[in-house]
Amino acid sequence: MPGNFHEVRDPIHVFVRLDSEERRVLDSASFQRLRHIHQLALTYLVYPGATHKRFEHSLGVMELASRVFDVITHSESISDRIRSLLEPLVSSDKLRYWRRVLRMAALCHDVGHLPFSHAAEKELLPNGWDHEKLTRQVISSNAMKSIWNSITPPLRHVDIEKLAVGPKNATDLEFTDWETILAEIIGGDAFGVDRMDYLLRDSHHTGVAYGKFEHYRLIDTLRILPQSNESERLQEPALGVDEGGIHSAEALMLARYFMYSQVYFHPVRRIYDIHLMDFLKEWLDDSVFSTDLEGHLRMTDNEVSAALREAADAEDKAGHLHARRILGREHFKRLYEWNPDDVQLNPESGRAVFRALSERYDKDQIRHDRYRQGSGAPDFPIQMRDGRIVSSLDISKTLRTLPVVSVDRVFADRSIFDNAIKWVNENRDEIIAPEREEAGNG
Amino acid sequence: MDRLRNAALLTRLIEGLCRKGDWCGETHVQKTAFFVQELMGVPLGFQFILYKHGPFSFDLRDELTALRADGMLELEPRTYGAQLVPTKQCVYIQGLYPKTMAKYERSIGFVVEKLGGKRVVELERLGTAFFVSNRLEEGKPVYIRANKVTALKPHIPTEKARDAVREVDRIASAAVAQKQAAISSGEHGVVTSVRTEQQRQQ
Repeated sequence: MPGNFHEVRDPIHVFVRLDSEERRVLDSASFQRLRHIHQLALTYLVYPGATHKRFEHSLGVMELASRVFDVITHSESISDRIRSLLEPLVSSDKLRYWRRVLRMAALCHDVGHLPFSHAAEKELLPNGWDHEKLTRQVISSNAMKSIWNSITPPLRHVDIEKLAVGPKNATDLEFTDWETILAEIIGGDAFGVDRMDYLLRDSHHTGVAYGKFEHYRLIDTLRILPQSNESERLQEPALGVDEGGIHSAEALMLARYFMYSQVYFHPVRRIYDIHLMDFLKEWLDDSVFSTDLEGHLRMTDNEVSAALREAADAEDKAGHLHARRILGREHFKRLYEWNPDDVQLNPESGRAVFRALSERYDKDQIRHDRYRQGSGAPDFPIQMRDGRIVSSLDISKTLRTLPVVSVDRVFADRSIFDNAIKWVNENRDEIIAPEREEAGNG
Repeated sequence: MDRLRNAALLTRLIEGLCRKGDWCGETHVQKTAFFVQELMGVPLGFQFILYKHGPFSFDLRDELTALRADGMLELEPRTYGAQLVPTKQCVYIQGLYPKTMAKYERSIGFVVEKLGGKRVVELERLGTAFFVSNRLEEGKPVYIRANKVTALKPHIPTEKARDAVREVDRIASAAVAQKQAAISSGEHGVVTSVRTEQQRQQ
């Protein structure tokens, strides 16, 4: 390899290659911190192999992002109509600029993660903060700006922020159609490479094969397409696939469904996350992590793990009980779970059970876990061999009927479990019946 | 507003759109819910940004998915995408909140009347025009707002953008007129949160 290129071996992508500017990002304190942030929080307590970190995932996302970029901007893949709508496609300088921005954004997209990744960040940060806001803070820091400014041409930090966190998490910024598509490459609902990499990587490390899918084929068939090629239908460009990629796209969506069901929402993994959140709330100053840049960079899984060990061993330490539940494997047991019959009566049946139990028992002995899938139906354009562009939901029954992941569970301390589950079973209908509003106008 | 109350209102909107038009997909719901919330003042609590085909709410997208998980909506195939079909479960949930339904019925009905049956490409233009008129270029003349629509969505021709801005102004005026009529007749439940072109000029 030439002197200004570097290679990192990777179990998923074999080699990830970086140039010297990307290497400077990799060597920065904010990126090196990701070596100490578990990708899947405490999942290793259930799947022992899941000890991989955000560091290698971020490298994988960069690798996949530029592969997608190269495929979708290839001149033979782009129609004249799309070329007329997306101005950077006709300028090789602009394409080079945006490819570099995309790779940097992909590399930095997770630098704002809290220790143990996603574990309850809403409750562990001050109001108005989330890990995406921390990510933007890191990208626009002086240390990182010195890297962006040293590149020829300099990279605008705002461009990197936009692509790293996407329109959903940068509502103060206006996105062009081009920027929206590039942000979709990283964090998109259908074909985001963040998801592609984590499914493949998490599958590899947990030993759960459901997460694997034909990503080489999928990426090769990605295209920028209008929603339709009929003038009186939607024309906005979006990421879609050639007809030959439909089955790979279906496999990706199925992989997501199975990994969510089998790994990410495994009940024991979830209750460990909840115990960890409880511990952190007691252990942290003011119950929240620091949003100050230096404080953020100092705090990793290592500091939290050391505190957990210390607290588990000493009754007078903050968070002792929660730490013992985690390290002593005394986690709460699943007492109630969402089921189709109860949902007919009350779609928020888990919350109702949680409230009823919280009134009957000590609140500290009951926990509620509610998660609803954060994405829509997988609707994207498909370019058929005969030139028509159709909706994925129009031609794929698999995508149309893909189950939605929904979690609504109540957990209870082992000391009250038998008694509590008996009480819930005896009074189930009464407990889950929703409150009715009194009739009346206005 | 709690989640089930919100679901009752949202599914009532979808029922109305299904009745008025020949189908109702997610894009129809995204654009019309924006009008229901921002023009009629119904507190659905969704955060909208300018994104796919105009105003778009990630919260609303997630909620539509959750309503499918809860059996309140089903996806059925269409020639261009999939339609959202309310199930019997919606009737039951709406029945839990008679007061809330009565309060916002007319506001939802107004949006269904004005926008139901429009194609998604029209809703994209109207939604974007309303977003620009209400948030980005409030009080500006038609041509400035139309130019902004085209700048944000280059696939929308300027002439179509101008037509959309004018139509949005007409809809906003009608919304104010409906509210005034409701107040005169002692009714409650119609709330508008937008200033019309006339009000801006005054």
